[in-house]
Amino acid sequence: MISIYARRRAANFTIMSLSLLATATGLIVLFLILWSLLRHGVPALSADFFTKDTPAPGNVGGLRNAFYGSFMMTLVGTLVGAPIGILAGTFLAEYARGSHLGQAVRFINDILLSAPSIVIGVFVNEVMVVRMGHFSAWAGAASLAIILVPVVVRTTENMLTLVPASLREAAVALGAPQWKVIVMVVYRAALQGMLTGVMLGVARIAGETAPLLFTAFGNNFWSTNMNAPMANLPMVIFQFALSPYADWQLLAWGGALVITLAILVLNIAARMVANWSSFGK
Amino acid sequence: MTYEIQPIETPSRSRPHLIQMPAVDTPTPTPTAEAKDQAQPKVQIKDLRFYYKTYEALKGINLTLHDKRVTAFIGPSGCGKSTLLRVLNRIYELYPDQRATGEVLVDGQDILDPRQDLNLLRARIGMVFQKPTPFPMSIYDNVAFGVRLYERLGARQLDERVEEALKRAALWDEVKDKLRESGLSLSGGQQQRLCIARAIAVKPEILLLDEPASALDPISTQRIEELIADLKSDYCIVIVTHNMQQAARSSDYTAFMYLGQLVEFDTTETIFTHPKERQTEDYITGRFG
Amino acid sequence: MHGPPAVAAVGLAPHAMWRQRLGDTLFRGLTQAFAIGVLVLLGAVLVALAAGAMPAFRKFGFDFLVSETWNPVKETFGALPAIYGTVLTALIAMLIAVPVAVGIAIFLTELCPPVLRRPIGMLVELLAAIPSIIYGVWGLLVVAPVLQTTLQPFLIDTLGDIPVVGVLFQGPPYGLGMLTAGLILAVMVLPFIAAVIRDVFMTVPAMLRESAYGMGATTAEVVRSIVIPHSRVGIVGGVMLGLGRALGETMAVTFVIGNAHHIRASLLAPGTTISATLANEFTEAVSDTYTSSLIALGLILFVITFIVLAIANFMLWRLSAKEGA
Repeated sequence: MISIYARRRAANFTIMSLSLLATATGLIVLFLILWSLLRHGVPALSADFFTKDTPAPGNVGGLRNAFYGSFMMTLVGTLVGAPIGILAGTFLAEYARGSHLGQAVRFINDILLSAPSIVIGVFVNEVMVVRMGHFSAWAGAASLAIILVPVVVRTTENMLTLVPASLREAAVALGAPQWKVIVMVVYRAALQGMLTGVMLGVARIAGETAPLLFTAFGNNFWSTNMNAPMANLPMVIFQFALSPYADWQLLAWGGALVITLAILVLNIAARMVANWSSFGK
Repeated sequence: MTYEIQPIETPSRSRPHLIQMPAVDTPTPTPTAEAKDQAQPKVQIKDLRFYYKTYEALKGINLTLHDKRVTAFIGPSGCGKSTLLRVLNRIYELYPDQRATGEVLVDGQDILDPRQDLNLLRARIGMVFQKPTPFPMSIYDNVAFGVRLYERLGARQLDERVEEALKRAALWDEVKDKLRESGLSLSGGQQQRLCIARAIAVKPEILLLDEPASALDPISTQRIEELIADLKSDYCIVIVTHNMQQAARSSDYTAFMYLGQLVEFDTTETIFTHPKERQTEDYITGRFG
Repeated sequence: MHGPPAVAAVGLAPHAMWRQRLGDTLFRGLTQAFAIGVLVLLGAVLVALAAGAMPAFRKFGFDFLVSETWNPVKETFGALPAIYGTVLTALIAMLIAVPVAVGIAIFLTELCPPVLRRPIGMLVELLAAIPSIIYGVWGLLVVAPVLQTTLQPFLIDTLGDIPVVGVLFQGPPYGLGMLTAGLILAVMVLPFIAAVIRDVFMTVPAMLRESAYGMGATTAEVVRSIVIPHSRVGIVGGVMLGLGRALGETMAVTFVIGNAHHIRASLLAPGTTISATLANEFTEAVSDTYTSSLIALGLILFVITFIVLAIANFMLWRLSAKEGA
């Protein structure tokens, strides 16, 4: 009796230790990555890093053009993708509960959420780059928008579903038509949640590389022309990290550090927004 | 006394629909009790049946609600009193598997008619819910919300309208200096009065109150009841409550419902002093099992 | 009917009513259009890829799927090495990631002090937020050199001589290759799988747990005989979701796979995946056949991940439907 119990306790101890070990592994990896980024990336940070454009190997330079390009394409991608995602998510939450169309859209959306982003790049290359005859920042922004949409659809639907039915009923009982109920009452009540969703989506597309390879392409010079190839951070990191030049690798580390910190900050901020008390209690 | 029976001044009006009603073991209110009241009938409910999918929640209700009077629906939970209230502004239509049959005449017009514009109907009929439902916007915007939907008022007129509604809801003195603050910042009792102000700001004809005080403390409850007594002079008020003292205190008529049927309907005084049905008596004396 | 019309009763302007109705129709139509747009998008991706892949399929036929040749100079293309690499690296990743993810989920739901549950859960989720290119850079510049001098020689020395299994661990330690790619992928998908499994574990009714504990079961026994059996479907769903991500991941793999279009038995050998091939070669492809072959690869990847993700979502849905009932 006692020996059985001792063995059971030993088994319990082993399994629990393993689960602790697994968690520790995950956290250690996170800190290892952050540590590598800080160790290799911090030396790259300088005034030049933010104010000069990508250099030829051996020359002094920075990532100004890549920062600008990433910012612009993420911005345009968000401005296009977020409203589309919010409206589609609104349909799922407000008009399509239980309908077949709603089921189908939800199912496909969940698949697009995890679909390989490089395929989106190939798709946009085919329908935009090939037609237009050249790579462009517009095409890059379009592929980012396509990747953002499913994220926003999903979070918007979830957040709207959390709004209590009594709030909708109260607005309807005043004679408000459904669209005003949604726009003026439900959206306001779900604002924080929806904002969190968009912020998480922005964090996701800000670091996307694969879909930009064949759309925005990259540009070693300063360019603000959205209709032309444009530099962007992830692609510069890709190109420079794989190069044999130490100064390029250094810039890649610097870029990697900046983009990771930006995305982590965005993520943490998004979670803080979500934790503001939403609708009253 | 919070209710009164008007002396007979006009000859009793004939109400054929109340007499020709099918006998679905729903008692008719005694004509004499109603006849004592000179108030105009505002809502006439005829053979109303209500279904959640296939479950029949209301089994042929016949009832008349009077203008400028308070009618209370009482009964144990699940008896259909809230369902009946939710038919009156057709708010149940938000949910696809709920439907109603029969007639509900408001000023003679059948509001169950599929051609009835629901938004307009609801603009005429205000509703206040069990839990306060302030919208996530300022106190001012909460009250102005319904007004802005259907009326184009200038800023001054709108201000006046908001003030009037808040005064009527006995909330003005407490919020007049913080109209721009969020409606969510108010206490529970204040929030509920804000919802009443919001409902009366659009000048509805009928006011539906669905257990408006059940989530409130006794003092807030008392204020709501005083408010109901005050509002009675202008509206046809229907209140659902599980609190019998509240029904006795604040209503002129009381309908006792049980298992989807209207067991007894009469003046509140009669219901609470000389109920005709055994079930009613058991319920109001707390012997209900 | 008698009585004044409803409009007159509250003095409503008819145009207001008309505008409200129009607004309702427009808004509903707008949201519906974008929702349908999600379906159209998927269709458009499939159609565009299929159209782009047509020339390659026409030229190589079924051979495209089974041929090992990838020769841009002679314009003969076969997808097998890329498919093999995609599947193999994903499998390696799952072998490593799933047990660790289950461990993390057990820790977070059963073992972790409630105070730490949120912060640790959030750190795991932050791991998922790091862009894949960072994993690539880290894998290439930090992990691969370490593996080249430590793990890989160790595997070659200890396992390389064992018959049958040994072939998996033979050859020089390049640092880069299938195993390294699988490892980096494992780290990438780990937080996704852990988060899903944690959420699934949370759905186990507290009553079940409590009755098992009430009989004197240890935490490990509760996990093994109550929590895991109860959430089997969800675990499979989470694993499939991670697999779908692993199959389609590009940047983390491209850095460390070694980019070689051949199939070698050894896990230490360099190889390629569909996404790495696309990332490396798409913009260099000059001829139509080359481009079309690459698009065909993209189509194959999309179809494979679609199927895997569809199964994953189906299983997770079944779970949430059961829970809702």
